[in-house]
Amino acid sequence: MSAIAACRLMPVWNTEAFVQRALLLLGVLFLILGLLAPLSTMLLKSVQDHAGNFIGLANYAEYFTNPALFGSIINSLVIACWTTVIVVTCAFITAYALTRSGMAGKKGFRLISSLPLFAPSLLPALSMIYLFGNQGILKGWLPVDSIYGPVGIVMGLCFWIFPHALMILITAMSNSDARLYEAAKALKTPGWRVFLTITLPGVRYGLVNTIFVCFTLAITDFGVAKVIGGQYNVLATDIYKQVVGQQNFQMGAVVSVILLLPAILSFWIERRVQKRQTAQVSARAVAIQPESQPLQDNLLMLFCGGIAAFLLLVIGMAMYASLISFWPYNLTLSLDNYQFDMMDGGGWDSYFNSLRMAFWVAITGTAVIFLLAYLNEKVKALPLLRKTMQFLAMLPMAVPGMVLGLSYIFFFNSPDNPLNFMYGTLAILVLNTLVHFYTVCHLTASTSLKQIDGEFESVSASLKVPFYTTFRRVTLPLCLPAVLDISVYLFVNAMTTVSAVVFLYSADTTLASVAVINMDEAGDTAPAAAMAVLLMFTALGVKSFHWLISRELLARSQRWRHA
Amino acid sequence: MSAAPYLHIHQLEKRFGDFVALQNISLQVEEGEFVCFLGPSGCGKTTLLRIIAGLEQVQQGRISQAGKDITRLPPQQRDFGIVFQSYALFPNLTVSENIAYGLVNNKLSRQDRTVRVNDLLEQIDLPGIGDKFPGQLSGGQQQRVALARALAIQPGLLLLDEPLSALDARVRLHLRKEICELQRSLGITTIMVTHDQDEALTMADRIVVMDHGTIAQVGTPEEIYRHPATAFVARFIGSMNLLPGRVLEGHNLLIGDTELALPLMLSQNVEEGLLGFRPEMVRVLQGPEEVKADTLLLQGEVAQVNFMGAFVRLVVTIARNTDIEVDLPVQQYSQRQLKAGDHLQLAIDTESLHFYPQPPVDEPTRVSIRQSDPQPQHVFAEVMDSVMEAQA
Ligand SMILES: Nc1ncnc2c1ncn2[C@@H]1O[C@H](COP(=O)(O)OP(=O)(O)OP(=O)(O)O)[C@@H](O)[C@H]1O
Ligand SMILES: [Mg+2]
Repeated sequence: MSAIAACRLMPVWNTEAFVQRALLLLGVLFLILGLLAPLSTMLLKSVQDHAGNFIGLANYAEYFTNPALFGSIINSLVIACWTTVIVVTCAFITAYALTRSGMAGKKGFRLISSLPLFAPSLLPALSMIYLFGNQGILKGWLPVDSIYGPVGIVMGLCFWIFPHALMILITAMSNSDARLYEAAKALKTPGWRVFLTITLPGVRYGLVNTIFVCFTLAITDFGVAKVIGGQYNVLATDIYKQVVGQQNFQMGAVVSVILLLPAILSFWIERRVQKRQTAQVSARAVAIQPESQPLQDNLLMLFCGGIAAFLLLVIGMAMYASLISFWPYNLTLSLDNYQFDMMDGGGWDSYFNSLRMAFWVAITGTAVIFLLAYLNEKVKALPLLRKTMQFLAMLPMAVPGMVLGLSYIFFFNSPDNPLNFMYGTLAILVLNTLVHFYTVCHLTASTSLKQIDGEFESVSASLKVPFYTTFRRVTLPLCLPAVLDISVYLFVNAMTTVSAVVFLYSADTTLASVAVINMDEAGDTAPAAAMAVLLMFTALGVKSFHWLISRELLARSQRWRHA
Repeated sequence: MSAAPYLHIHQLEKRFGDFVALQNISLQVEEGEFVCFLGPSGCGKTTLLRIIAGLEQVQQGRISQAGKDITRLPPQQRDFGIVFQSYALFPNLTVSENIAYGLVNNKLSRQDRTVRVNDLLEQIDLPGIGDKFPGQLSGGQQQRVALARALAIQPGLLLLDEPLSALDARVRLHLRKEICELQRSLGITTIMVTHDQDEALTMADRIVVMDHGTIAQVGTPEEIYRHPATAFVARFIGSMNLLPGRVLEGHNLLIGDTELALPLMLSQNVEEGLLGFRPEMVRVLQGPEEVKADTLLLQGEVAQVNFMGAFVRLVVTIARNTDIEVDLPVQQYSQRQLKAGDHLQLAIDTESLHFYPQPPVDEPTRVSIRQSDPQPQHVFAEVMDSVMEAQA
């Protein structure tokens, strides 16, 4: 009996539990260093003067007494509202056409509408210059004096944000229950009432979600406003001007905090909406089989055709412009604009830097994000730590790229920081991009992990198989599709992102997207367009390559799914 | 100390936050025994099983297995195999790989492993399915593969959490027998969780009836059925007439407006209680008949006649607002041709009578979980199952 008592007093050493907890702790530490600490440093900077003394809200007071500065808030809101209204309307009609109508050519249209996802946001802006700029081919069509300003920004953003909105709305609309429509039909409900009482309420969460995603993307975007904004200042370009132009880091921090507010607000609302959405569609819902109604289908097709034409026009214009020798005087085709080494901005090196960075982001990001999502999902211990992790994983969605980039300067450039050695290297670009796109990947990983039977870990414990073996042999293979999706998402976004990295590159690590900005700033618009087009095709190429590889890989590893 | 139990559970308590999931759980399981945890949904059966497996931690109490204290051990360091309700088969591994999953770290050669897997497949009566994936198997087959995977590492204790509940009625009956045979031939100590009383009664050596996180009764199936320790157990297993009554004096009990002289002594310090007896223990007397002195005699009028297949269930009014159920074998029923309105003489032997004193504060909460007529429900469920099967 005394032996038993003695045994009970000693805590039993459990290596696996220790490893899991240690990894979880490291994960939280990673997110704190990569996200929370930089953001806090930035908040701190916004209440300090140049010398680093605490001056309370003096910087904010200065900001709000300067109409040139705080006017940007209004500008940003105007841009974001217009973009949201236009994009959501177009995306709603398009999503309706794609999910609920008997329209022809849906596949092709979906393909075209996803193209902007692969382009940097700089591309539509450059394209707008060639279409509607002072020497643009469609300048006469423009109802306003100049494309440089709000109209250009809104048009560029619409192009770039449209596929994001469309994706959410398509998902929302395909989740509706056909039985409701059958019931309505049985009750002889007129079409407009069906739309108002069933269709609209059915997608209301998706719609709210879309509105906030569009709004956030529009208000935080930097690339479009930078290229085509002209004298029209918005918050994101203000940060850039304060920091890069005037070296006024404190004011940059103030603008960042102000830009953070609407983003966090819309993020918060979106999360609340998402929580309520979950229980909306029952497992027994019946999928809708769209019926054809010739008149409606033709009208919708006309509309979608218009959208597709706009998207293709923008992409095509950029491609065409990049091949023109000297716009608009010498219209012969040549590859001169692709000789990036002849221009300032980083040359071909920057392109290869981008490739390298995207590669590392994809590799390390997929590994880190999936592992942390796994620990968060499957480890039962340390609930507080997991809650923290969950919060930190969701936070990057609310942090605009410009804000994150500036925060990194403050945090990593500080001479007191032992991580200072990372400053100016490729590593900091990789870390920054990884954190910037963390949330979507985390959600993808979590969703796929949640679909796995929660008892697998218990079973392997009972069979005395360590958890990492089960992770390797079962969990990872089961989640392979999600893992592959995450990696390509990271790669494509790392290739095309500009906002966060614009503060962080050094002479050795110029990136292609930054080169686009620099060349455009130097007046080399055509080479800038060429680089943007090149980026888009690289992203597209990687995506296609990835698709082929995944198909092969999945066919082999997911044999059980089809067996 | 020589005959120490294989598994010794002492005064366990488990809380989830403020919610007490298990309280005061003490239980001993002998080596080679087949024990069933039986109880309504949410009473804590799974939680207790997971505690034995080390998948949940307890706040208080002790568990020892084969003489060793395992209370704080993680599951990896305990000796058990487990089959979950969902089977939790790895969908991307073949049946053979699933079964061999725990053998990999046993330092067996590849060849020995194959032999062992084939042996196990043989044992569960599914030779030749080794190369299939779990998704290609029927529910019953998956269940047996999960069993084989748990048995592969030759654990000292087998834990089964509602292993049959996801299967249709016919497969369930078949597998009941198979699991029992396998358990007996291996002699492995087994604990099975179920909320199906038939399953517990037919399979277990001993049944642990649980109620709201406590153990209500432990005993062999026969003991539990014949002598339910509490009104809850009585209600939960089989059907039982439970008549609320007020204790008068000596042998007398007031039920409704009728005073009954019971052939058992009632304790004088209880005021109220439930008089219980099973419907099939009631005899319908054929005219004037000699009965033993210690028999409870009742008069009543038939209110309903329900044909149940193997027997006929009569609803008999024995006092105002007091109906009892009486089961008659079909054969006896067809002799008597009873119909509603007939007057009956009923007799119940002492040993079939139970009296459950009711502390007025405690009991009403338990009464509310009355599971009325488990039998007919069961018949219905089986019919439904076969209908579903036919449709599928
Ligand atoms: N992780 C948990 N956190 C909080 N409460 C829990 C948890 N697990 C179980 N419970 C609660 O403990 C009680 C017992 O749960 P348990 O799963 O053991 O019931 P059960 O007897 O197995 O029921 P069933 O027959 O439905 O499987 C339930 O009320 C349940 O809500
Ligand atoms: Mg259970």
